[in-house]
Amino acid sequence: MAWNDKGGGPWGAPPGGSGPPRRPPPSDGGSNDFEAILRRVQDWLRDLWPGFDGGRGILAVVAVALLIWLASGIYRVDPNEQAVVQRFGAWVRTESLGLHYHLPAPIETVTTVDVTRRNQTEVGSRNSRESTDAGTMLTGDSNIVELGFVIVWQIRDPVKYLFRVADPTDVLQRAAESAMREVIGQTDVQLALNEGRGQIETSSAAILQSTLDRYDSGIYIAAIQLQRVDPPAPVVDAFHDVQRARAELEQQRNDAEKYRNDIVPRARGEAQKIIQDAGGYKDKTVAEANGEAQQFISVLDAYKLSRDVTARRMYIDTMEAVLTHSRKIVLDPAVAEGKGGVVPYLPLPGLMAPAATPTQKGQ
Amino acid sequence: MAINRTFIFAAISIVIVLLLAVGSFFTVSETEQAIVLQFGAVQRIDRTAGLKFKIPFIQDVVIYEKRLLDLESPPQEVILADQRRLVVDAYAVYQIVDPLRFYQAVRTDEGAKLRLTSSMNATLRDVLGGTTVATMLSKEREGVMQAIRAKVNDAATPLGIVVADVRISRANFPESISQSIYGQMNSERQREAAQFRAEGYEQAQQIKAKADRERTVILAEAKRQADIAHGEGDAQATQIYADAFGRDPEFYAYYRSLDAYRKSLGGEDTQFVLSPNSDFLRYLMHPDLSKLAPAK
Repeated sequence: MAWNDKGGGPWGAPPGGSGPPRRPPPSDGGSNDFEAILRRVQDWLRDLWPGFDGGRGILAVVAVALLIWLASGIYRVDPNEQAVVQRFGAWVRTESLGLHYHLPAPIETVTTVDVTRRNQTEVGSRNSRESTDAGTMLTGDSNIVELGFVIVWQIRDPVKYLFRVADPTDVLQRAAESAMREVIGQTDVQLALNEGRGQIETSSAAILQSTLDRYDSGIYIAAIQLQRVDPPAPVVDAFHDVQRARAELEQQRNDAEKYRNDIVPRARGEAQKIIQDAGGYKDKTVAEANGEAQQFISVLDAYKLSRDVTARRMYIDTMEAVLTHSRKIVLDPAVAEGKGGVVPYLPLPGLMAPAATPTQKGQ
Repeated sequence: MAINRTFIFAAISIVIVLLLAVGSFFTVSETEQAIVLQFGAVQRIDRTAGLKFKIPFIQDVVIYEKRLLDLESPPQEVILADQRRLVVDAYAVYQIVDPLRFYQAVRTDEGAKLRLTSSMNATLRDVLGGTTVATMLSKEREGVMQAIRAKVNDAATPLGIVVADVRISRANFPESISQSIYGQMNSERQREAAQFRAEGYEQAQQIKAKADRERTVILAEAKRQADIAHGEGDAQATQIYADAFGRDPEFYAYYRSLDAYRKSLGGEDTQFVLSPNSDFLRYLMHPDLSKLAPAK
């Protein structure tokens, strides 16, 4: 009766309600209260509908209420949703996009489920509500890694999702953790920390999907994404040292390759030079030989025309050239043989020394 | 007031009828199953969803979950066949398939969870006691989990429960031995780092040595080609000389000798002692051409 003093009733002010605002009748307690309400409803209806009277009026109220109740079964399904309709709890149909009707509650009820949203569930993150070792896992070589990952999933079958598993997200997390531990348990620590991450993501997603399919959960695993994979704090340094050693290996190899890339092309250049030099020598030698041969042939041809004269000329030319620059002593054989009584004195040191004495020159 | 009396009577009757109607019907959701009890004795089992009838006030309804339920066993330390210890926990996924047995055996979900948990703990100790860490860290893990599931399922059958799956989640070394694990990890990493460094040296030396060798080979090959070219040049030259000079060997000897004299004796350091009677100087003392003997 809280609406009594609002002057409008539960459905607002009556249209065209020009009359003075109704006052609540004086309350005299007990059953009169009930009669008062009845009267009030009748008054209100008479306002609404001038031809109103007693029994038919009640019928009309019931009819209106029934209509409103029936109309409450109209509902809309968005493109990203599917609606599961249950009649007295039993599944009857699943509707997708559009305007639909269900028998009003409590006969039929509708649950809409978003089937396109990508849900993300974190497992083993540092700020997770789970215990601290949720992300601590044993690797295939008995090492320990700490990791956190995100499950990206969506509802593939709303009926299964609603009706097959009591707590789908809880089961999803547990199954995901188990799948991840199974995969990590078969992976060596270095692989898990470095290049094996993609492999871990795909195989754990596959195991998780098959587990959830076995439960008929209606969940589709889009992906598992590793957020972090770290060695435990007490051994981080050792792992970093391995990374450094790897980097050093790369660097040493790069240095060596730099050396190789430096000296080999140089050697090739040097080799080309040697080969070209040799080719040049060959060409030069042959060319010289040809030249000399040609020269000789020319001289020979000329010589053949007049042998004696040519030979003589060549001899004299040569002697002239030879004797022009050299030191010469002309000695009469008669003197040499001592016929004139003079013994020629040839000082050998003087002969040997090119610094000629004036006497010799004079001769 | 007669109208009001009738009205009140009618209203009370309607309420009673409604109460009876509400008391006679109950709904079972798609996610549920129901047992109808009459004075505490099981009368009927409803495993299908929908609107159901019961006798009001006489029959009661117990609703159980029909969907898959899950529970987690608390972490516990187990000793494996290789005497190594692991802290293990597992989760089970189960379903109430026989509400009657379930009602008779455990009655409530809490009761079922207690029984299942203790059964899981015992089975985990039992089955894992027969495996090794190596098995747990291999493909056989799946088989171990199947064995555990089968045993837990056997134990759960009298409860009206089917255990769909038991999966080991955590299987870690206990905190007390993690120090030695860390020690082991450290030494493994040191070994690895040392190996990388040595391999770096190895690869660098290999590459450098190969490069040196390549250079040597390249140069040697060049030298070989150069020598061949030298030889060919000399050979061709020799051939050319032989061809040319072979036309008149005697003249060649003469020609070449003159050339040699010119080159070897033409310097200033040569001293000749000549006789005026020599052929070259014959005209020096005997200018009269007619009296001269012809030149040799």
